[in-house]
Amino acid sequence: MTGRPGLDPRTKIVLVIVVSALVMSPGGLLFVPAALALAAGLAAWEGAWGRVGGLIATAAVMWLLGWILPLLWVNPFTAVLSLACTYLIRFVAAIGVGMHLIATTSPTKLSAALRAWRMPRAIAVTLAVMMRFFPVVAGEAAAVLDAMRLRGLVGAGGLVRHPILSLERFTVPMIAASLRASDDLSASAILRGLGARRTPTTLDPPRFGIADLTLTLTAAVLATASLTLPSPLA
Amino acid sequence: MTEQDASTHATETPVMQASAPRPRSSVAFSARDLLNVAIFAVIYFVIVFAIAMLGIIGPLMMLLTLPLSAIAAGIPYMLFLTRVRHAGMVTLFGVVVGLLYLMMGHPWQSTLVTIALSLVGELILWAGQYRSKWAAIWAYTAFSGWFIGPWIPLFLDREAYLRTQGMEQMGAEYVAAFNEVVTVPAILGLWVATLVCGFLGAVLGTALLRKHFRKAGLA
Repeated sequence: MTGRPGLDPRTKIVLVIVVSALVMSPGGLLFVPAALALAAGLAAWEGAWGRVGGLIATAAVMWLLGWILPLLWVNPFTAVLSLACTYLIRFVAAIGVGMHLIATTSPTKLSAALRAWRMPRAIAVTLAVMMRFFPVVAGEAAAVLDAMRLRGLVGAGGLVRHPILSLERFTVPMIAASLRASDDLSASAILRGLGARRTPTTLDPPRFGIADLTLTLTAAVLATASLTLPSPLA
Repeated sequence: MTEQDASTHATETPVMQASAPRPRSSVAFSARDLLNVAIFAVIYFVIVFAIAMLGIIGPLMMLLTLPLSAIAAGIPYMLFLTRVRHAGMVTLFGVVVGLLYLMMGHPWQSTLVTIALSLVGELILWAGQYRSKWAAIWAYTAFSGWFIGPWIPLFLDREAYLRTQGMEQMGAEYVAAFNEVVTVPAILGLWVATLVCGFLGAVLGTALLRKHFRKAGLA
């Protein structure tokens, strides 16, 4: 987390749900440019320049393949490719907004926000713990993949020849390693009162601040613009 | 941590008295339960996505990786089910995984389908008293139906997709033919294929439990 006053996690969660509802519903292409702009803006605001570049590049490639290529070259293959890209560009927009939430919300802040919403304890605690476990499990998966690569077990060829064996070689060590790593985390979580019936108090309660207001207004302006201006994608 | 509640026996009807001790039917989660749901939800998600990443290599791989991730994800799920001893955990798993999909850019319809299917899985497990191997296998088969989720918007908004640039250029005949292909039977076919892969994954997961995890004392 940067030193800047961050967004209220609740604002981010609502934003993800609203973007998904708009972009994934019928007629959602109208909102895709706005959602992409919002996702890139959020990534820039948190200083994740790699993600800004990635989002813009992916969206540009999808736009070229989906809208421009069929004009230049007409055949069934480009038609299907265009269909796929017009579909997948929605996912790029939704992932961009979701990534900001995942990257900038600490487990503590998330559980404080969910408590403020009176979310059932089971769901709130589980989600916060998942946030904490994510880097651990992803690290174990990367380590197992590296070990497989050293032994020459990674690659499309091996996967096609022995699909089940490849799956077993990847998943079994990864699960075992993750469970071993999670034992320490679980013990420390229980020590710190996870699963206790009492409601913990929050040192830094989530508040709706200037940043949230700015974001809400920006999102509203972008949504209105999507509805009124001619859309580049539809 | 998990103590058998004596008062549940008093309220039982005589019909339901089984010889084996019945699992607790309360939805009180211990800290250990919540941690188990969390860790397995993350492992499940990472495996599904690690295998989906392989699909980026090429379109042929994409066709292969969707069934593969349904099969592979059966391995952690079956291990998770060995740790489920009472109602609610499977539903909770579905809820948190569904919310995670939403954060990862899946359509909201996908989240709703995931939660609904985990309720179905919960019912199947409940019918097997949370002790039956085959109930666990069918529960994962039902749950793996969520893989249809990312395709739902495509079916809901078919007209819009048939109007895309590439389709427009191909002309009305091609669009009509394409529309014939992407119909309800095709969707049902996709769903059935997913469920079959889910069943295979559950069987594979059960076999690997025997082969690896029991030996290591993890199951």
